[in-house]
Amino acid sequence: MIVIGIDIGSVAAKGYIISSGKHHRTIIPTGWSPREAGQAIIDQLLDVSRIERDQVERIYVTGYGRVAFEQADKTITEIKCHARGIAELYPEVRTIIDIGGQDSKVIRIGERGQVLDFAMNDKCAAGTGRFLQVMATALGLDVSELGDAEQPGQMQTISSMCTVFAESEIIGSLARGNPIGGIIAGLHQSVGKRVAAMARRMGIREQVAFTGGVAINQGVKRALEAELGTRIIVPEACQYTGALGAALLALENS
Amino acid sequence: MLDEFMEGFASAREVNLMRIKEAKDNGLKVVGIYCTYCPQELILAAGAIPVGLCGMSENPIAIAEETLPRNLCPLVKSSYGFAVSDTCPFFHFSDLIIGETTCDGKKKMFEIMRDLKPVHVMQLPHLSNTKASFDLWVEEIRCLRSRLEQELQVTISDQDIWAAAEMINKEKKAIKAMFDLNRVDPPPLSGMDMLTAAWSRSFSSNKVEMVDNLNGLVREAANQPKNGRTKASRVLLTGCPVGLGTEKVIRLTEELGANIVAMENCSGYKTLELQTDIQGTDPIVELAKTYMAIPCSCMSPNPYRMELLNSMLDDFRADAVIDLTWQACHTYNIEAFEVGKLVKSKGLPYLHLESDYSNSDLESLKVRIEAMLEMVEK
Amino acid sequence: MADYKQMWTDLGMDLEKHDVLCEVLPEAFGGIYLTQQDRPKGMDFYDFVVSEIHGVRPAEMLQHQKEGGKVFGTFCVYVPDEVVFAAGGIAAGLCGGSQFWVSGGEKVLPANTCSLIKASVGARLDKTCPFFLIPDMYVGENTCDGKKKAWEILAGEVPIHIIDIPQMKRERDIAAYEAEIRDFIATVEKVTGNKITAESLGAAIKLINNKRRALQRVYNARKASPVPISGLDALLVTQINFYDDPARAAQMANNLAEELEQRIENGLGVFPDKAVRIMVSGTPMAIPNWKLHHIIESLGAAVVVEESCTGTRYFENLVDESASTLEEQIRALAERYMKTNCACFTPNSARVEDIIRLADEYKVDGIIDTNLQFCNLYSTESHLVKQSMNERNLPFMHIETDYSEQDFEQLRTRVEAFLEILRK
Repeated sequence: MIVIGIDIGSVAAKGYIISSGKHHRTIIPTGWSPREAGQAIIDQLLDVSRIERDQVERIYVTGYGRVAFEQADKTITEIKCHARGIAELYPEVRTIIDIGGQDSKVIRIGERGQVLDFAMNDKCAAGTGRFLQVMATALGLDVSELGDAEQPGQMQTISSMCTVFAESEIIGSLARGNPIGGIIAGLHQSVGKRVAAMARRMGIREQVAFTGGVAINQGVKRALEAELGTRIIVPEACQYTGALGAALLALENS
Repeated sequence: MLDEFMEGFASAREVNLMRIKEAKDNGLKVVGIYCTYCPQELILAAGAIPVGLCGMSENPIAIAEETLPRNLCPLVKSSYGFAVSDTCPFFHFSDLIIGETTCDGKKKMFEIMRDLKPVHVMQLPHLSNTKASFDLWVEEIRCLRSRLEQELQVTISDQDIWAAAEMINKEKKAIKAMFDLNRVDPPPLSGMDMLTAAWSRSFSSNKVEMVDNLNGLVREAANQPKNGRTKASRVLLTGCPVGLGTEKVIRLTEELGANIVAMENCSGYKTLELQTDIQGTDPIVELAKTYMAIPCSCMSPNPYRMELLNSMLDDFRADAVIDLTWQACHTYNIEAFEVGKLVKSKGLPYLHLESDYSNSDLESLKVRIEAMLEMVEK
Repeated sequence: MADYKQMWTDLGMDLEKHDVLCEVLPEAFGGIYLTQQDRPKGMDFYDFVVSEIHGVRPAEMLQHQKEGGKVFGTFCVYVPDEVVFAAGGIAAGLCGGSQFWVSGGEKVLPANTCSLIKASVGARLDKTCPFFLIPDMYVGENTCDGKKKAWEILAGEVPIHIIDIPQMKRERDIAAYEAEIRDFIATVEKVTGNKITAESLGAAIKLINNKRRALQRVYNARKASPVPISGLDALLVTQINFYDDPARAAQMANNLAEELEQRIENGLGVFPDKAVRIMVSGTPMAIPNWKLHHIIESLGAAVVVEESCTGTRYFENLVDESASTLEEQIRALAERYMKTNCACFTPNSARVEDIIRLADEYKVDGIIDTNLQFCNLYSTESHLVKQSMNERNLPFMHIETDYSEQDFEQLRTRVEAFLEILRK
């Protein structure tokens, strides 16, 4: 059976195709149209795996753009998809921290990867990829450069969690001549604190996995580990966890 | 037809508005109330019309925020906003407003509302289980009785109170019977249907007619067990009051394919099991017993809410619980901790939502509700 | 700080976490307090208490328990300490004032709860404050929605007696509070095993009144211009009085007052004669919450009076000492406590009158009315305060804040602009 899972996030769209045990994956920027991004993902997946569209049994779609995508056989929330994806990769994991472009979530899962409980950030951007994006721009960097540029030894604590105020705070900090690497470490700490507070309220069970685009950032991972006092697993393809989960659920026809 | 009954309930607000205007012209008095703790039996016994005034619209909030803090619950802000902007006809027609010290926000809002209308505030005790609280509440109801007599220039006889108590008992029974329809699967009524019918009660100037309509609805539903509704995840809604205009969580949940089968809140089941004993000797004492038993989170401790929820979860065969807190409502927000423990101990998914009257969080509410429903499906 | 590791371990504290707090507190205190100029000598005692904050007083309380005495943790100025001391117990005000404890509270409380409640619950749950672990019993009270419901959660953690504070001040409400005092007496007698008599309660009334008189004397000195003591220092005195031994507290405050009176005689002040004089009104500032005072005073204005629970509400009004029977004493206590004007009462117009009176007595140039975020009571009442101040042309500003440092810069800008208006 051939199935596709697509995760259309606010920043990137990710796809996973599974065909008789083999799989391919792809990622593109979501851009302004989630529908077109979803179509492009399907085209690319079919292309790399040399499969025709009508051979595909089912397409499951998740992510904030899922509703806009008519070709979906089913739409599922990111919460369930991340749970399913992680359960496949790391069956020992009981808590997932997922930080994406505009959301951060903490998901507690059971032995079979079923969702037991979850928490999500409120409306504001604090503690999400969006927060880091705005800060990176203010520092004249690309968001992908933050992880490598941080200098934890020179930590400049950022007191504002709010994106708007934090931006002016780091501009002030730069003006005072503080090292940029230290400021970045402070930003990571800020995201870590915010998300850890949410995780603690729900209760952390080990092991803990970190997924979503922000999980690529080693600095945020370190900050979360420090805040929660536990080691955190980041899947090698952390961004694809949701798409993988969607594909697996499609395979299981759940 | 069910639909006809529902239309009747949906138009109750308009119809009653005209009636109340007429009644006012004929010299009848109108008393505005904001809370289920207000013993409306006394208002009926005084020959006046009680009308529910709770603010259930986002529109007047901006005006309210010129006076009230932004960080206040939307229900309190909306209530005050309607009053200060004179955009609620029922407030406009009210000769007297009854408030209670149910929560910090309302308690202080009523101080400010005094500039607009005569406001009588009842001191609602904090503790649910002490004799001192009960005695205090009896005194407060007596106090309300004399205030009504004085303000409306009438004498309220015990006989009239007993009669009003019997009427309200009947009304509660009828509403309860309507809610109880949904114990079966699929539920004959949608969440929006239940809300529309229950909510129309706060405007209804004719209790006899209200009870007749409810009884008619229940009979009708029994006569047509198959009315096109389908089985789906059964969700129980609890928490802060929801009314027409603030039904977004009900709407979203049903749009996502689930059925809201029961509501444990002020507009729902919260007070419906509480019947006043009309065989007693002092009607005020009997009313005090009924009202003190209301399981609002403003009471400490509040074990009856947990008992009620527990039995409702079984009776209505709920698959999941949504607990809705309006932003800055501390008592429901904090009590969510206890509710969450209860629901999870029964192995059911529990979703606590904190929201306001705006539509800015619809998407994020949707993801949460959807993810909770996925947990039901397993 | 001396070595209290063993004591903390015995209390079951989380030493690792506590170390973090011990590291940051001296730094904060040094930066805010020790940099002030011309501080009164009398502040040395309070500086010492802060330097040993989790050591010296907790050790005394533990000693008291070792000798069979009981300790009661309280959270509100409506709790009659007299009852506890009359039964040979110790009452200690516990309110948490640090952001450090907030995240611990957020594990069980919503984020949208006021910092004071979250910090108080967090300090207990995280086991990072000896004061919260020592008490044999907590005394809660129904002053606000947040506290009322937080007690339900804490009740699973520690024995707690709830005092049901009325919400109005009619004669029957005062009688209701009297009944609450009787209930409290019964609980305290049971916990301590000591009977409260007219003699012991009379002595306790004098003991606490003396502390109030001493604080009144310190505050009186702040009416002078130039002001002989900073608002920060006066606030610290009040904060420490919440849990210090009342007799010693009175003595230390009297010593300080004497020095301040001497300063006034010599025309000495800690701010220039023409410095802007500010009243801070609103919600309490539990130790170590010095944020707003620090902002105001670092901008060159003097805080000369606090209309708050960590200010005049704490010590204004004495209990009538002429009451001689238990019955009369309980009535006298009820009357005294019900004179305190907190926004939890409705209506609460007497608080507005207090503010107007204090503004006159302390010759203030402007009023900063502040409340902790999510305090629906003070934030809503602020509108009524503002209305009255506007009618009287008293410059007024309202600030809503919490324990975090997040809004420090914005607050500084707002306060600075307010001071610019006052200076013209």
